[in-house]
Amino acid sequence: MSGAPSPWAEARGEIVRAVGALVVALAVAFVIIMFTSKAPLEAFATLLRSPLTSQRTIGYWIDDSAKLTMTGLALSLVFQARQFSLGVQGQVLLGGLCSGVVALSPVGYTWAAIPLGILAAMAAGAAYGFIPGYAKAKLGANEIVSSLMLNYIALDLTTWLIRDKLAPPGKGLLFTNPFPKIAVFPALVAHTRIDLGVILAVIAVIATWFALYRTSWGLKLRLVGHNPRFAEYAGIRANFIMVSAMTVSGAIAGLLGAMFVQGQVYGKLATNFENGLAFEGILVAIVARNRPLAIPFVALGYGYLRQGANLMNIRTDVPNEVIAVVQAIIILLVASTFALPVRKWLMRLRPEARRAAEAAERVGP
Amino acid sequence: MTHLLLTVFSATFFVTVIRTATPLLFATLGGLIADLSGALNVALEGMMLVGALTAVIVSVYTPWYVAVLAGIGVGAVLGAVMAFFHLKLKADIVLVGFAINILASGGTVYALSLATHGDKGTSISLVSKAVPAVDLGFLGAIPGIGPTLTAFLSGHSLLSWVALIMVFAIWFFLYRTPRGLWLRAVGEYPAAPEAAGIPVGKVRMWSLIASGGLAGLAGVQLAMFNFVGFTRDMTAGRGFIALGAVLLGARHPVGAMWAALLFGVFDALSVVMPNLFNWIPPELIQMIPFVVTVLALLLFSYRTLRARQVTTLSGD
Repeated sequence: MSGAPSPWAEARGEIVRAVGALVVALAVAFVIIMFTSKAPLEAFATLLRSPLTSQRTIGYWIDDSAKLTMTGLALSLVFQARQFSLGVQGQVLLGGLCSGVVALSPVGYTWAAIPLGILAAMAAGAAYGFIPGYAKAKLGANEIVSSLMLNYIALDLTTWLIRDKLAPPGKGLLFTNPFPKIAVFPALVAHTRIDLGVILAVIAVIATWFALYRTSWGLKLRLVGHNPRFAEYAGIRANFIMVSAMTVSGAIAGLLGAMFVQGQVYGKLATNFENGLAFEGILVAIVARNRPLAIPFVALGYGYLRQGANLMNIRTDVPNEVIAVVQAIIILLVASTFALPVRKWLMRLRPEARRAAEAAERVGP
Repeated sequence: MTHLLLTVFSATFFVTVIRTATPLLFATLGGLIADLSGALNVALEGMMLVGALTAVIVSVYTPWYVAVLAGIGVGAVLGAVMAFFHLKLKADIVLVGFAINILASGGTVYALSLATHGDKGTSISLVSKAVPAVDLGFLGAIPGIGPTLTAFLSGHSLLSWVALIMVFAIWFFLYRTPRGLWLRAVGEYPAAPEAAGIPVGKVRMWSLIASGGLAGLAGVQLAMFNFVGFTRDMTAGRGFIALGAVLLGARHPVGAMWAALLFGVFDALSVVMPNLFNWIPPELIQMIPFVVTVLALLLFSYRTLRARQVTTLSGD
């Protein structure tokens, strides 16, 4: 470990670590499936192979990965500033609500429906991300607690508004009328879920990378995250950086809300449309080490597993919740510094292996 | 409005408050112990869920007290897992906590579906047991105040009384025993107890285990008294509210009790209000405890900030 390791060597180390965690997690999942399924091998094969079976399932995978990329980006921004603001869910819900309101209004029948919907969603998400940041900067209020509470508030609020105010009255429906066609993101590949959202996700990745690694704001943000005391001595206004990081993260999450409701999957407002995806960003951000350019690749890998689990849920007797075990193990292993013991074990194993090989040689001829 | 006031000042409402406050109090005490030892336990929510499901499934086959112990035990095991990854493998405690929450919310549904042969929503097909209520009917014999005493004190869960005892036990432990001093010292400034030869890691490990056990017990009360049986995500954010209650209770066991009671009142209001005001959308009533937590958090943070400013000023 002399001198600075090259970025590629570092990346290789991270990839080895992530793949190692994935293998361990899948092995545990396999053991669980073995014990609980009547046809474990078939179920496991479905988990690993099914997303590639048709154009439609590939569409599910790409769409899911684009959304995972967005939530991963939103969380990586706040994690890089060492803030554990976990309000992505609430920001996604409010963003989706606002973009849905735009799409349902008279504007929804014009070409402005998509750009205005996106802007409204980003503004709502940013505002909702700003609250815990401002409360922490001004009062020192714990951002974990406040952002989690805001999630529940947003969930109740959107459910009420959609059910009571926006859905067609009198039928007890939990979703609105479909948006006008012009307000729905156009599909990039016909008859799949792959739509404008994928392009937005790619743009968001590049924009976040640029903001973090090519602007002074990004440099300050990373400094505040890595070494707050040094940042303070350097005269960086840590509070401003923290609040702005949470606000920008909220805007990304809000955009994800628009991708949900204005995308091909929904094209209308439904209660609880994000369905727990927002929190999956924790895994994506952690495995990608909060690097924006690594996030889409992690999202593709994890999105593949998620879709595999969903199809396994439909096609076999194994519930898709088994993926939670995989997810938890990956987070635990990637967040831990388990690289050192592994090296130690290898060192311990090596002389024995050598001795064994020597012994075999001696016996051999 | 008079309806609401009549309801709020009735003995039944008081009993409802105690019932809803009990799981919160256990969870808050669990959060408090971890927090005082310097480890923020964001996994209270997941530990409660796992404790609740374990208690329900175990109670199908064994007496209720075995199920209670199983719920505590499984929470403690999760606390030990958290301690292992945080202390031994140096993983960030918030990430470990969230990994446990993810494991719990998915894992409980998976286990529920196995135990009920395919039901992913509730354990309604399982015949689970309840924690007994404590009958203090004999107090009614006291002349004058007897009937009132019975109405207010009788019929609470046995665990509610345990919770009350626990508040004082934890207070005694923290402020009147050497080990309690260790725990607080480790949370306050770990370098000092480390230099004094106190095993900092071990203290944190046991705090997390105790914290998990208390969270498990909170889940037990939820699934064996407040509602007999398990439903998917039945904790509904109570573990996170407990984190707020720790702060609101000024990081003190007695304060934790008052904070839990306050949330119990709002939780109970959200139970009785739909009957009284059916024009208020249920979602807005469900929102109340979360809004109260945010406001309480802001108020508490403001007060701490002011207190700090005052001490710095007088220090100068």
